[in-house]
Amino acid sequence: MLKSTTIRSITRLSQLYNAPVTTYRACLASKRFYSPPAAGVKLDDNFSLETHTDIQAAAKAQASARASASGTTPDAVVASGSTAMSHAYQENTGFGTRPIYLDMQATTPTDPRVLDTMLKFYTGLYGNPHSNTHSYGWETNTAVENARAHVAKMINADPKEIIFTSGATESNNMVLKGVPRFYKKTKKHIITTRTEHKCVLEAARAMMKEGFEVTFLNVDDKGLVDLNELEKAIRPDTCLVSVMAVNNEIGVIQPIKEIGALCRKNKIYFHTDAAQAYGKIRMDVNEMNIDLLSISSHKIYGPKGIGAIYVRRRPRVRLEPLLSGGGQERGLRSGTLAPPLVAGFGEAARLMKKEFDSDQAHIKRLSDKLVKGLLSAEHTTLNGSPDHRYPGCINVSFAYVEGESLLMALRDIALSSGSACTSASLEPSYVLHALGKDDALAHSSIRFGIGRFSTEEEVDYVVKAVSDRVKFLRELSPLWEMVQEGIDLNSIKWSGH
Amino acid sequence: MPGVTAPTRRQVLSLYKQFIRNSNQFNNYNFREYFLSKTRNTFRENMNQEDPKVLVNLFKEAKNELGVLKRQSVISQMYTFDRLVVEPLQGRRN
Amino acid sequence: MFRSVCRISPRIASSAYRAIMGRPVVAKTLAQRFYSANVSKDQVSQRVVDVIKAFDKNSPNIANKQISSDTQFHKDLGLDSLDTVELLVAIEEEFDIEIPDKVADDLRSVGETVDYIASNPDAN
Repeated sequence: MLKSTTIRSITRLSQLYNAPVTTYRACLASKRFYSPPAAGVKLDDNFSLETHTDIQAAAKAQASARASASGTTPDAVVASGSTAMSHAYQENTGFGTRPIYLDMQATTPTDPRVLDTMLKFYTGLYGNPHSNTHSYGWETNTAVENARAHVAKMINADPKEIIFTSGATESNNMVLKGVPRFYKKTKKHIITTRTEHKCVLEAARAMMKEGFEVTFLNVDDKGLVDLNELEKAIRPDTCLVSVMAVNNEIGVIQPIKEIGALCRKNKIYFHTDAAQAYGKIRMDVNEMNIDLLSISSHKIYGPKGIGAIYVRRRPRVRLEPLLSGGGQERGLRSGTLAPPLVAGFGEAARLMKKEFDSDQAHIKRLSDKLVKGLLSAEHTTLNGSPDHRYPGCINVSFAYVEGESLLMALRDIALSSGSACTSASLEPSYVLHALGKDDALAHSSIRFGIGRFSTEEEVDYVVKAVSDRVKFLRELSPLWEMVQEGIDLNSIKWSGH
Repeated sequence: MPGVTAPTRRQVLSLYKQFIRNSNQFNNYNFREYFLSKTRNTFRENMNQEDPKVLVNLFKEAKNELGVLKRQSVISQMYTFDRLVVEPLQGRRN
Repeated sequence: MFRSVCRISPRIASSAYRAIMGRPVVAKTLAQRFYSANVSKDQVSQRVVDVIKAFDKNSPNIANKQISSDTQFHKDLGLDSLDTVELLVAIEEEFDIEIPDKVADDLRSVGETVDYIASNPDAN
């Protein structure tokens, strides 16, 4: 039921929306006629505007489906996770049941300020931004160009260098396929790393089928690329180096500026996948000599289904478009733009810049607290470089605990054991493998993502829940018993996987 | 130009009150907490601001943001979801 | 099916709860007709003190302080103007009323606030 003051404010809403705060209005004809605000729409007192969504039912169905489907996970392990979970629920009565969201690398909640920007494009401003014969098109076109400027500003780019796409996956594919295809007459070689996102690795593999050679650079045990190794890998026919800025699984920040300088010196195009980095670490495409940069909107509290690619104009970077069509977006990405998504993305980018310092301070404070709390238990390790990392992404290994059963035991916290795309397969993370972690440790790793809307209360809850349940699960584990007795686990021969 | 005079103390306090009220009305726990603490921090940061030009701009910006908060807190009450595991079911602290 | 109807905001929940549990207010309101039709002054006083005590998120030491009707928000509780506004919002929500800015400006002590609420016919 809505509060009575709310009902009153709803009738006032039309007035609020009519407030001439939007800039595109200013450029329209000077004479404006507003329809008078609806005269006090009366709502029946018993009529509820609230629509409630119960997500618990879906969560339970998913959990049981996953438990029965996961062939690699013994039932006993799942059962032990469930036992730990029910213990926790009994302690926690009088509170809600919806999990704490701590999976900010998968996606982030849409900021209400972003939604507010988008709504008018779903209500009145529905013009095609490419229509230049009437005001419907001009309105949305102005909004699109505003958004483009906001997206560009965050990385010190020119608005003309921003091309809107459907997301970072499309952006990465555009670069990994488009650049080599354009320069294929003289160049045949691509360099990337083993810890890239799946879409970069798969796109690179697809290019191998087209006759290109790809070098996948190794990373050290901290997850960082070795610059010497990169320099050695460069050949006269190398056309593209692609290294992600912030890793999605372990949060490690690669030495982008140094790589950029190296590529510029060798006249090779440098692409960075900044899906996890854009707006979260300081980036300047000119200072860092970045030629191409992929951006995702839904990682910065914007709408899902949109992203962008920065393509440098001076010196000009050429690439073959993936899509043929009307030639929108400098001919690189044909198809009608979605103004609601573009405007939301623009607002999200504007807010990332505006709130940069306060967001950073907030996330750092919570992250330090979480890391300290989690690592206070024995046999827990932080994965990836402790110095070169984005604090909002924390990957921790809990030795002697099965990751899947820990996730089952932590159903009151929305977490992931790796990236959203790979965790469904229950395969251990290839990123952690690249760091030299063995299967068992990779299996027992969990990623915690902190964001703008996370609270201290949530972090306190998570530290307590994880510590309690890791302890509980370890007590059930025969491995843990052996460790406590001082048996060297490496001396045991395992059967099966 | 009219309206260039700095907002009065009462106007600022009244605006603060509306920010707190509307932030508090978010049904979503994370948004509620975020806008409450953002409101507190922003007003406190500018508590000793004397420059009338800056004050006029801040006031104007804040009024626009209040419009967003009013609309979005209503929407948050229309589309509701289960409470979080850190949220008490009975009453609300603070 | 009717879950959405039953799920109500916690503020409403708490006031509904009070209505159902029937605080012993009826007899007193009859005796003190010039006060709020719904709540007695003692009740108001107690609830205002409870709200102040619960306000320690903003002002950590407040829960341990002795609070009487003479207690001043600024002088005794150390609340600045912004804190006081926030406290008054909490009190407004507790009693489901809106205190006009003009009145709120002059409320400096617990006693003044209690008097205002008790004289407000909308308070409940």
